[in-house]
Amino acid sequence: MAASTPKSRTTADPAGPRRALVLGGNRIPFARAGGKYAHASNQDMLTAALDGLVARYGLQGERIGQVAAGAVLKHSRDFNLTRESVLGSALSPETPAYDLQEACATGLETVVALTNKIRLGQLESAIAGGVDSTSDAPIAVSDRLRRVLLDLSHAKTPQQKLAAVARLRPKDLAPAAPRTDEPRTGLSMGEHQALTTAQWGITREAQDEIALLSHQRLAAAYDAGFFDDLVTPFRGLVRDANLRTDTSMEKLATLKPTFGLTLDTPATMTAGNSTPLTDGASTVLLGSDEWAAAHDLTPLAAVVDAEAGAVDFVHGVDGLLMAPAFAVPRLLARNGLTLDDFAYVEIHEAFASTVLTTLAAWESEEFGRDRLGLPGAFGKVDRSRLNVHGSSLAAGHPFAATGGRIVATISKELHRRKAAEGGTPRALVSVCAAGGLGLTAILEAA
Amino acid sequence: MTSTVVLPGVPALAGVYARGAGASGRLAVARRLGRAPSALPDVVYTVSGVRADPQQLTAYQHLLGEPASDRLPAGFVHVLAFPVATALMARTDFPLPLAGLVHLSNHVEQHRPVTLDDPLDVRAWAADLRAHRSGTQVDLVTEVRTGDTLAWRGVSTYLARGIRLGGDGAPASDEERVPFVPPTPTGRWRLAADTGRRYAAVSGDRNPIHLSSLSAKALGFPRAIAHGMYTAARALADVGAARGDAYVWSVEFAGPVLLPGTVTVRVAHDDADGFTFAGWDARSGKPHLTGTVTPLAA
Repeated sequence: MAASTPKSRTTADPAGPRRALVLGGNRIPFARAGGKYAHASNQDMLTAALDGLVARYGLQGERIGQVAAGAVLKHSRDFNLTRESVLGSALSPETPAYDLQEACATGLETVVALTNKIRLGQLESAIAGGVDSTSDAPIAVSDRLRRVLLDLSHAKTPQQKLAAVARLRPKDLAPAAPRTDEPRTGLSMGEHQALTTAQWGITREAQDEIALLSHQRLAAAYDAGFFDDLVTPFRGLVRDANLRTDTSMEKLATLKPTFGLTLDTPATMTAGNSTPLTDGASTVLLGSDEWAAAHDLTPLAAVVDAEAGAVDFVHGVDGLLMAPAFAVPRLLARNGLTLDDFAYVEIHEAFASTVLTTLAAWESEEFGRDRLGLPGAFGKVDRSRLNVHGSSLAAGHPFAATGGRIVATISKELHRRKAAEGGTPRALVSVCAAGGLGLTAILEAA
Repeated sequence: MTSTVVLPGVPALAGVYARGAGASGRLAVARRLGRAPSALPDVVYTVSGVRADPQQLTAYQHLLGEPASDRLPAGFVHVLAFPVATALMARTDFPLPLAGLVHLSNHVEQHRPVTLDDPLDVRAWAADLRAHRSGTQVDLVTEVRTGDTLAWRGVSTYLARGIRLGGDGAPASDEERVPFVPPTPTGRWRLAADTGRRYAAVSGDRNPIHLSSLSAKALGFPRAIAHGMYTAARALADVGAARGDAYVWSVEFAGPVLLPGTVTVRVAHDDADGFTFAGWDARSGKPHLTGTVTPLAA
């Protein structure tokens, strides 16, 4: 090979860095906000998910190369959330750890970052993860009270202290709960997605169908025992609390719309086709071929490549959650792949309509031409390959824990498929996130 | 010949308003006597060596959603310089009453960045007294120089409702108002009841119509109303860094924003290199403000 020739890296490139493998995963069932984990902290849940992983893969006392995890809603005292969770787990206390935060892409980013280190030879083993609690969310004091308290701590004379306190007004004592509104627009994520839903003309029925399928497929996977080695019960919960085995199009149709109520177009987004607030944690065990062999672990999948994206939602150029619609075409072009090359496509169901607006953009000639710079539409996803074991609408979406749930689930499915049918099936993973962010990745069966 | 009044510093608005209220009373008497306004005082007010206060700048930037850079947002230059124009409006020979003037529109040209370290020379005068379909309007022109270079120029247009010009009093052109159609929103401002007090604290503009329901009611408003320049500056902040170093920031004010209140907004690219913005009431579909931010050729 001519060293001076730039060559686009493909999955088959023998000169590329070594493989980084998904070796397993473990999560706790996801609970609804205020449910079974109402009094569990992020650290409690992440430690529980880690200990479940340790137990499953015999990692007691093991010094893992590095653990990376994060939470979206995070207490300031949890500045070392992941390290503290590691110290509380059965892993060796000599296991390093770091925190990462990238809104709802946090979990997937920990997988990408750690597998990159493995591929470069910096790590032999790693654990990626994420956790979130909307029940145990931090509550802050108001900005004015905080300012007064800080000035008070800097005040030297009684007069200065008095002057600081004198600025306080009764309403300054009201606590400030975390807001999910986008800081730059003042719109909630649901309101943003309602604009995108209207822009792409997504119907209520199409959204409810996505939601129904998510519940049916997740329920079927639980019934088939698919999650037996991926989920460890916690605090009396054995399955995701949000999963409704008895839902139907009729039941979903009775729900009142909750977002997009002030737009010209009919409001179509309901509590049924939007993810609920959820508590939970997930972890993914990663390693090199050598480490897997030395620990007698079966590689499930290799993490091949990843691409991040972002959109200018602030000025309405694109919808808040549409970054993956741009990132995936770049990712696939770099790897010389098309949508047809994937046996599985996992699109995080922030809302049913997020999945549908992403698919609609990819199927649009105009979007492909004008926004992606392609000759025409990017492509069509075969629906039978989409979110095959259900996704966030059924399982729930504890923000930072979703990436780990998806990666562990689809890695196991890739391995199962390869064992059953041979070949090297691939999966595409796409996660949208607040701030107009998106993170996408390619996995292939190992 | 134009006379020049050199002020020792930027006057405090509270004192200016008090003097203006006195002048307004005298004007009301003059109107009852049938003496209609006809001419503007031929005078320029100047203040040199004006400097921004870092704490006030930070508070302004935090309130409006601007990054706390050492560059002064165009709206903050207005805050620093406009009291000079207000002092001129409070003169006894200014033909319109300061109390009750309605801010119709504001047009700012930011020619070059102004920073915290720049000493600013401010000049202000009144121009173009003219008829409006519901009264008389006037432009207050304020220029800010750093060294010998014009850095910032603002034209604030005010309306004295119900006051007719002496002499040839017909509006120059009966311009058609384009009906406002609410566009697709890009955001929303939730304005708390104390929005007026908070902007007053960073701008010094303590006009009672902005401060509390009680003081606003005394002046004929159902509740306190947001400062027009607060809403215009929020829109400018929403455009963000994409506005560049030199730009024109124009706004037309429509219905007042009652506090507390919610303004639905769109701040988006126009067909060229600039931005258009609008803020409206989602329930009634009526506009509060519309405007543009466009690049200024160097």
